[in-house]
Amino acid sequence: MGADRKPIGFYISSAWIGLCVFLTAFGDSLPITDYRANDFDAMGVGPFSPNHILGTDFDGVDLLAAIAHGARWSILISFISVFVASVIGGALGIVAAYWRGWVDAVITMYFNVTLSIPTLILTVAMVAVFASPDMSNPEAGMPRILVLIISLTFVIIPVLGRIARSSALSWTGREFVMVAESIGMKRRQIIWSHIVPNVVPSMMSVAFLAAGVVIVVEGGLAILGVGTDPGQSWGSMLAKNRGDISIAPHTTLIPAVAIALTVMALNYYGDYFRNRIDSRESRI
Amino acid sequence: MGKLGGFAKQLARVVLVLILVTFGVTVIVRLLPGDPVTTLLPFGTPEQHALLRKDLGLDVNIFQYYFSWLKDFVRGDFGQTYTTVADGGVQVRDQIALTLPRTLFLMGYTIIFSLLVSIPLGILLAYKADTRVDKTLSNVLFGFSSIPNFGIGLGLAYLLGVKFDLLNPVGYVPMTENVAEHFKSMIMPVLALSIGLISTFTRLLRTDTIATLKEDFVTMASSKGLSNQWILWRHVLRPSSLTLLTSAALNMGALIGGAVVVESVFAFDGLGTLIAYSINFRQYLAIQSLIALVAVAYILFNLIVDVLYGIVDPRVRSHRGG
Repeated sequence: MGADRKPIGFYISSAWIGLCVFLTAFGDSLPITDYRANDFDAMGVGPFSPNHILGTDFDGVDLLAAIAHGARWSILISFISVFVASVIGGALGIVAAYWRGWVDAVITMYFNVTLSIPTLILTVAMVAVFASPDMSNPEAGMPRILVLIISLTFVIIPVLGRIARSSALSWTGREFVMVAESIGMKRRQIIWSHIVPNVVPSMMSVAFLAAGVVIVVEGGLAILGVGTDPGQSWGSMLAKNRGDISIAPHTTLIPAVAIALTVMALNYYGDYFRNRIDSRESRI
Repeated sequence: MGKLGGFAKQLARVVLVLILVTFGVTVIVRLLPGDPVTTLLPFGTPEQHALLRKDLGLDVNIFQYYFSWLKDFVRGDFGQTYTTVADGGVQVRDQIALTLPRTLFLMGYTIIFSLLVSIPLGILLAYKADTRVDKTLSNVLFGFSSIPNFGIGLGLAYLLGVKFDLLNPVGYVPMTENVAEHFKSMIMPVLALSIGLISTFTRLLRTDTIATLKEDFVTMASSKGLSNQWILWRHVLRPSSLTLLTSAALNMGALIGGAVVVESVFAFDGLGTLIAYSINFRQYLAIQSLIALVAVAYILFNLIVDVLYGIVDPRVRSHRGG
């Protein structure tokens, strides 16, 4: 049916996400300017200057190189934390939906409690918990990227878990699950062969949206001064150059556009997968 | 009986969530690395350290600490901040009194503005569903919803604040000082927070309105010869606004989080900035009271929405009753 011809937005989104993933994987071995090099003859020049297509910031850092490097941090942080959160949240949600009773009550309560603190505030608090104990020496302790991934994972688990639970609930009542139970299949087998394959697609669409949310939250953390080191992720690029917005707006707006394009592509994927699931459901 | 019993059960659940959230925050605050006493008073004498430890309630176990904090919190005593300078610190309650109105204004204007724009827009898009107008506007809204609020904020600060020099990009003006300036200082932060919400709200209302338009009572109304406008506003909007209402209330909580960043972009000392500051500077009692306050507000919003549901949609009311 409609699965053959994909809308143009799908190709654009795929191209952008593909580019970001490519940069994440091979960014360091590309023949572009070093993102750490300072071009002292061209500091704060605008886009389309010679040698610097996107211009430079006031440290003379080439913005194209910085964006390419920033993709690694933003994409890595977002994808890893959403993946881990999907696995943990998915497991919790399915267990809650299938076992019901007090297990469900405890897990649902955990989701509700976590969700009643705004995402960004909870993330800031988690980052503070996991970060270096010595405020004057932030290098000690866990690497910053790990702190961010752990904190963001923790915060995003209930979002994905709640979707997994409600999706799993709608499948456990279906006839084929009852049949499987009546012929004496083990719970674990039923979960693996009947529940998981049906819950995963609906989690996928939410996972894409969540990946977008994580990129934005990471940008917010950077603006609040608790993100990655200055100039690493897109968010911290933006935070670093924010003071120069009145004289060189491109230094701030370019990373903002990179974040917006990525979130747009991820949202598009999320919508696309949800529509596909909906049409599949309506055909059943 | 059934209705009252259901309400009591819901209330009990809310109270349980509240207790767990506040206790959870206590655990987080206790887990913050470093010894708060040496962080706050790096050059204090052992006697001063012992005194502060007692003041912060760190000489007792976590349960005792939690209950004494809860007792103070319920009575409106939110503790005080501790500074390394010997000014004795500030009452958290005073800080809240200063920052909360700003954040409430910001959130209130944002929700009102978003609803004012998205209700007519959502109805229009549903009425024109699948025409070129609908497709174009829907795509534009989708694009806008993907720009993070700080991105919009910085873009606006550059365009309106620097390039065209129309508005002052930083700071907050209280209403008591100058009403016109107060609204002017709110324009950019409210726009930065609203654009994402408008897109979400419009899309929700559009979907629900399209579903309502297919119902029999709409066909009935139009066969009676009622005008399209009358049908849309008087018959269709109310049953279609349930999801919108829920989303608006749920977003009130999320807005506090979004406000943190936007407040920071526009140097607008609100509640969000205060929370971020407290966490960064290890103001233990302040963190605990502030996050608890936000969570309480969020949970109460959800409760209110549940009650509103019954008022807006009589079908829910009868279900609850039966």
